[in-house]
Amino acid sequence: MSMKILLIEDDPDTASYVAGGLRENNHVVEHVPDGRDGLFVASGGNHDLMVIDRMLPGLDGLAIVKTIRGAGLKAPVLMLTNLGGINDRVEGLEAGADDYLVKPFAFAELLARVNALARRPPIAPTVAVLKVADLELDRLKRAVTRGGKAIELQPQEFKLLEYLMRNAGQLVTRTMLLENVWDFHFDPRTSVVETHISRLRAKVDRGFGAELIQTLRGSGYCIREPR
Amino acid sequence: MNLGNLLHSTSFRLIAWYVAVFAVSVAILLTVVYWITRAALDQQLTDSVEREMSVLTEIHRVRGMESITRGLQRRIADLKPPRRYFLLQSGTGEKIGGNLPAMSPFSGWRDLPIPAEDPGIAPGSKPEAGESLLALGRRLPDGNFLLVAENQYRTIKAREAILVAAGWGIAISLLFAIGGGILIGDSFLRRIEDINRTSRSIIDGRLSDRVPTRGSSDEMDRLAVNLNAMLDRIQSLMESLKRVSDDIAHDLRTPLSRLRRRLEIALEQKRAGQDCGPAIEDAVAEVDAILETFAALLRIAQIESGTRRSAFASVKLGQVVSEAVETYSAVAEDREQRVLADIDRAAVVQGDRELLVQMIANLFENAIRHCPSGTAITVSLTREGGDAVLCVADTGPGIPIAERDKVLKRFYRLEASRTTPGSGLGLALVKAVADLHGAALELESNSPGLRVVIRIRSSGPSRGQRDPAAQGGDHETEELRATPV
Repeated sequence: MSMKILLIEDDPDTASYVAGGLRENNHVVEHVPDGRDGLFVASGGNHDLMVIDRMLPGLDGLAIVKTIRGAGLKAPVLMLTNLGGINDRVEGLEAGADDYLVKPFAFAELLARVNALARRPPIAPTVAVLKVADLELDRLKRAVTRGGKAIELQPQEFKLLEYLMRNAGQLVTRTMLLENVWDFHFDPRTSVVETHISRLRAKVDRGFGAELIQTLRGSGYCIREPR
Repeated sequence: MNLGNLLHSTSFRLIAWYVAVFAVSVAILLTVVYWITRAALDQQLTDSVEREMSVLTEIHRVRGMESITRGLQRRIADLKPPRRYFLLQSGTGEKIGGNLPAMSPFSGWRDLPIPAEDPGIAPGSKPEAGESLLALGRRLPDGNFLLVAENQYRTIKAREAILVAAGWGIAISLLFAIGGGILIGDSFLRRIEDINRTSRSIIDGRLSDRVPTRGSSDEMDRLAVNLNAMLDRIQSLMESLKRVSDDIAHDLRTPLSRLRRRLEIALEQKRAGQDCGPAIEDAVAEVDAILETFAALLRIAQIESGTRRSAFASVKLGQVVSEAVETYSAVAEDREQRVLADIDRAAVVQGDRELLVQMIANLFENAIRHCPSGTAITVSLTREGGDAVLCVADTGPGIPIAERDKVLKRFYRLEASRTTPGSGLGLALVKAVADLHGAALELESNSPGLRVVIRIRSSGPSRGQRDPAAQGGDHETEELRATPV
């Protein structure tokens, strides 16, 4: 799926790194290095998604997001913030950004988030049951079955599986899981994600034949029907 | 305080204005008093002359010339010194009696000169000094002329006395006003000068200097207190910044040289035609670790700066700890450890949820890393009074008493744990978050092992009253999370 992506970023290295990577993944990237021009281009409403730096010359990234949200533009926004700015995330989300990423980041992380955002809303709010192959998750009854057989999950395991299934077929990185399932906005030193994924696997995949939860080495996890 | 300084000061200008206004009002007051007194004195004089005139006229009408001539003689004789004058003249201008020389008759009021020597009957008595007489002349029905006059000397003297008193009054009150003004202005300027001196001293690099306060809680004192508070805040921010840069300079050197070594190995391997992939992967992992350390440092510095306190809200600590127990029980089980938890789920504190989550996670990770397998980690959250008390205990090697303060500092790691992974920032972050929340952090011995006790104080009564509303708000968001869309 090719998207038109607007990148507002003043640092030339980051910009070429991000734009190059996105183009390699068949997206059309328009790059603007200045905040004021960025707002002008963004207001056109011609983009499927925007990647906006927090700190920009001319006009602050936060102000851009606030303005375009105020003007009713709905395209998802991924905000790039600097290391250590613990208030940046909250401010960015309050201004109307959909996700944030702390610099420096691995390109795989950015791509995973861009893809996750592009699919938003992944499932209509009315859809109560998520399905991947013969695995079903009922969000209202908070029940999980595979091949009709009920599976007992702990609350966090349920949350983890739900997040994976909402992004079914997509790469979900370790950081995305920490932020969305555990509300951890830091890197734990112990293997929190790995431990819970392996427990979830033991319940959801073991003894059911095909393994649905897959590890993508070095980048993250993905739930999908094996080909 | 020199005079030039004083003359140029704002307070001097204020004082000058004050003195001027004061002087003008005193002058107006005294002028009014002067005029009223003067009018009263004049009235008294004319009354006295008129009364005498009417008495004499009445004598003349009832008893005739004989009687009035005698009356005049008796009156003149009684005056010592004579300040009242009389003249009785016939219609043809001849003096019949009195102590004034003959003159052309007139009717009504007139000022007359004082006769050089007393022509009156009382010999040897000099006339009272003075400038003029206030005279009232009247033609009697039989054609004679009667004059009664009185020396104005006393009135004029009284007038002069009042003027002199008024002058002194103005001069003395001006002196008081100026003196008082200078004293007040000087004490005011002295305090401004204190502030100036402190500012200059800080500009010169003595950052710990503070404006002296007097504890009088007036405006100047409050200004000084506020300035000092501002300076404290700036100093703590600067120190925090300086610590961060020192820490970075000192402690990132080792991992950076390690990174450099790894990249050199990769380069050598590539030159030798070997597979350098694993070496590069190692280098990337090293960079990630450096970035993580860097982020943790900046985070601690930001927490210590206290800016997060403005975002404090009601946090369901019971729920946060329960979730952490669920998260880390699994991790602990993989290491053949157990987590024993006793959580009061209703505990609520005022704070920053994100930071509390990280603080609790750090405590769990610390315990898990230092606990040998087969042992238990004990976690409890209780409420004592209004305080929430969190206790995380492990059965690891513990921390010797002498080292307990040090482990809360950045990058400090016990010699024994140098070989295990970790940035040495875990407990420093716990301490920073606890401090931000005004919580007491205790490291105790669990014999064996370490027990960390954090007592988060309940918020004040005003906050406590707001709590139900805040909890209501929190509850709503929780429900939203419980049924995600």
